Amino acid sequence: MDSIRIDFAPQTGTADEWNEAYARLSDYFRAHRLHSRVHRTYLILETLKRASETHARHPNVSPTEVAIHEARRMQRAWLRNIIGDLNIPEGRLDASGRMAFLLSGGPSTYPEYFLAADSPPQEMVDAMRQPIIQSGPDLAFSSMVPRPIDLGPISDIAEDAGGFFDRHPWLRYALLASLSALVLWGVYSVTR
Amino acid sequence: MTSQSPPNPSTRFSQASIRRRRATFFTAVLITLIAGLWLMGHSLGRHGLNGLEIAMLVVFTPLFYQLSTGFWTAIIGLAVSRKSDPLNLLNTLSDDDRRADLSASTAIIMPVYNEDVSRIFEGLRVIYQSLQQEGQLAHFDFFVLSDSDNPNKWVEEELAWLELCRQLDGFGRIFYRKRRKPINRKSGNVSDFCRRWGKRYRYMVVLDADSIMSGSLLANMVRIMEKHPAAGIIQTAPRVFGAETLFGRVMQFAHAAYGEPFMAGLNYLSMGNATFWGHNAIIRLKPFIEDCALPELPGREPFGGHILSHDFVESALMQKAGHQVWLLPVDEGSYEEGPPTLLDTLKRDRRWCQGNMQHFWLLFARGWNSLARLNFFHGILSYVASPLWFTFLVLATILAAMPGQSSLAIGQGFSPGLVLLFLTIGLLFVPKLLLLFRQLTRKDVARHFHSRRALLSSVLLDTIFFSILAPILMVFHSKFVIFTLLGKGVRWAEQRRKADGAVDWQESIVTFTGITIMAALWGLIAFWCSPTFAAWISPVLIGIALAIPFSIFTAGLPSGRRRGWFSTLEELHPPPVIGELQHHLSKAHQRSDPSPALARNYGLMQAILDPFVNALHVSLLRQRQRLTPESRDYLDRLRKRLIREGPQSLNKRELSALMYDPDVMIRLHYDLWSAPTGDLAPWWDSAIRQYNILTREPVTALYR
Repeated sequence: MDSIRIDFAPQTGTADEWNEAYARLSDYFRAHRLHSRVHRTYLILETLKRASETHARHPNVSPTEVAIHEARRMQRAWLRNIIGDLNIPEGRLDASGRMAFLLSGGPSTYPEYFLAADSPPQEMVDAMRQPIIQSGPDLAFSSMVPRPIDLGPISDIAEDAGGFFDRHPWLRYALLASLSALVLWGVYSVTR
Repeated sequence: MTSQSPPNPSTRFSQASIRRRRATFFTAVLITLIAGLWLMGHSLGRHGLNGLEIAMLVVFTPLFYQLSTGFWTAIIGLAVSRKSDPLNLLNTLSDDDRRADLSASTAIIMPVYNEDVSRIFEGLRVIYQSLQQEGQLAHFDFFVLSDSDNPNKWVEEELAWLELCRQLDGFGRIFYRKRRKPINRKSGNVSDFCRRWGKRYRYMVVLDADSIMSGSLLANMVRIMEKHPAAGIIQTAPRVFGAETLFGRVMQFAHAAYGEPFMAGLNYLSMGNATFWGHNAIIRLKPFIEDCALPELPGREPFGGHILSHDFVESALMQKAGHQVWLLPVDEGSYEEGPPTLLDTLKRDRRWCQGNMQHFWLLFARGWNSLARLNFFHGILSYVASPLWFTFLVLATILAAMPGQSSLAIGQGFSPGLVLLFLTIGLLFVPKLLLLFRQLTRKDVARHFHSRRALLSSVLLDTIFFSILAPILMVFHSKFVIFTLLGKGVRWAEQRRKADGAVDWQESIVTFTGITIMAALWGLIAFWCSPTFAAWISPVLIGIALAIPFSIFTAGLPSGRRRGWFSTLEELHPPPVIGELQHHLSKAHQRSDPSPALARNYGLMQAILDPFVNALHVSLLRQRQRLTPESRDYLDRLRKRLIREGPQSLNKRELSALMYDPDVMIRLHYDLWSAPTGDLAPWWDSAIRQYNILTREPVTALYR
């Protein structure tokens, strides 16, 4: 029987920790809509290999964290090749790149090129380099300033009264009670 | 006033014909009112009026005015809607006009606040496609203007916008704007649009989240605006559709069966001085921007401050600036949905009541034309009528309790009370009977109402329905008016536009128990005063006493649909836009939902967990100004807490603070994915495991 060589032997971290890192990477790549298990497995193993080397230098960090960090680093390097010259702020490179990959139809049309060393097809590159998204047209500012409405003398009185009631809110209820008492008295006077 | 006076309107709309119409209308209303008052006065005090009777007469006057206004609106509407009304703007378009290509640019805007996201964007989809089929899409842009403060809705809206743009290739034509601070609510949202982009468009069509309009009508509205440069706003009369509950279907049926002549009657009266209802309307942007910005009212809420019912005021301001506001009675192409239950109707009315009460101050403002002032008055009266009716009934009860008195007594020989009773019944029911006759005699009755038998049954049943509903609304509207007078403002509640199938028994019982007890006690007092009086007032008291079962029963889904009861044209033969909408929504509702534990914070979860949703959310955020170290520390603390303790450990304000910061959102995405399971809140662990099952297909929030 032919023997096989497993090219993954991390010097640091426990098997459980690396299994957890594997599962997390699997979920992470699947969240990128990479539905091919074979392609995903290649990506996971490649990422884990690089992560194991990094982990040897930083054994206190969990393998899961190192693995995702490595995946991010690979993604940034891949994106920089495609959209690195578009004056995208460094902090937004990942987000803009992910958006560009989605809008280019990447997950459904070119999944095998995601993080691949091979040059992606020109159509994919062109699509990713399109202006990312436009949520609003160019601004054309107008001044829309409210004009005061002349509410007339009654409103002036009401404003004064309103201010008075705002300062003494209990008076609002006292007035209501007085009116009710007046109505009751009126009813009593008429009906007695 | 900066706007120049618009050109003279066409001779077709001469001032003389407008004056003649209004004179006819108000003469009829006045004669009816005088007759009613005379009869009331005579029935109350054959030997002179005492103080109580005078009070009753005073209260009766506006109530009878309202009744006769409604009666004559319907009667005149019936008369004019039988033939092609030359003053209906749609009839001013020639065949050539209707075929002409558009030359003006129009923005279709939809301000939204925590609404059903699928409904918003599927609605936009059918409008977009309808315009595309009409060949006029190039002249329209679409804007969803969000003030949603629910993080889930926010993310869902972003995703749905992206997905719709991708599916329709609508980038650069369908836009999404989320305001950070929802200043001045809906009117502030519209003004914000006008300030940013208003100059780019000649017209703006305002839609509600539940509005649908056909491409053909939209194009024709633009053509009418082009043909009538004096028109500042054209308000369509939308038809109601999409109801599922008994309550919603009865209201929808009533609108279909009786609404059209009322709209025609309103148009007959108002002509170029109509009012604006805030949606399903087209607005000329230049004068709107220049003259219709809303000032704050003096004082504080509920009477002062921000104007709640902005549409009436915008209409009055447009007219004050010399432009016309028209009502466009249409029988197809403009649609909206109504509240599904009595409780939802009351919640909406609470808001509308305060908005209309605010207009009290505007009644006396200088510069309005008389119709604009009358529109304010009618709006106020529509709510104040309830406490007046309530007071009238209380006074009648007191009168009945007085020895030797018998309120509205019906005596021997000529009895003014009896005549008044018949007159009132006539004002209430004659328009309904005439409308019923008209619908029954139409050749296509089966197409519109299922069958003659179903139509008759529906009218009979809706009479019972409205007899119970009217007294309940009276009590609640009275309460709302008093609350407003006492300074109790309303908060901006999100609207429920669809029933979720579950009847809320508890809320109905809690809401209506008080008025049920009141009705029972009132009935006992009335019976003690006079059994005849108890019989007179019983229809009102029975309605109030039945509030709990009425609310519960009408919130249910059984509504006689199989028998054809309450059928409408839109239900039986949906027009293309509604048919398409229903088709897409039924697909949307077939998709699997996340578990309830995840559903509560699903939007947040997507924005952090999903690489693409995270990227989309970040792309749509504005880059923040440099944060102070204190703010940065605060956000760091929240970020760590969110990962370790889950979203339930943060309130809405804290979640929003995180979600508004693009750097924090990018950081959270990696923090979450790179955190070992032991460092994650169980909620996140479960989210990671379930998320990929839920997003088996490319994500389409439209279909969730």
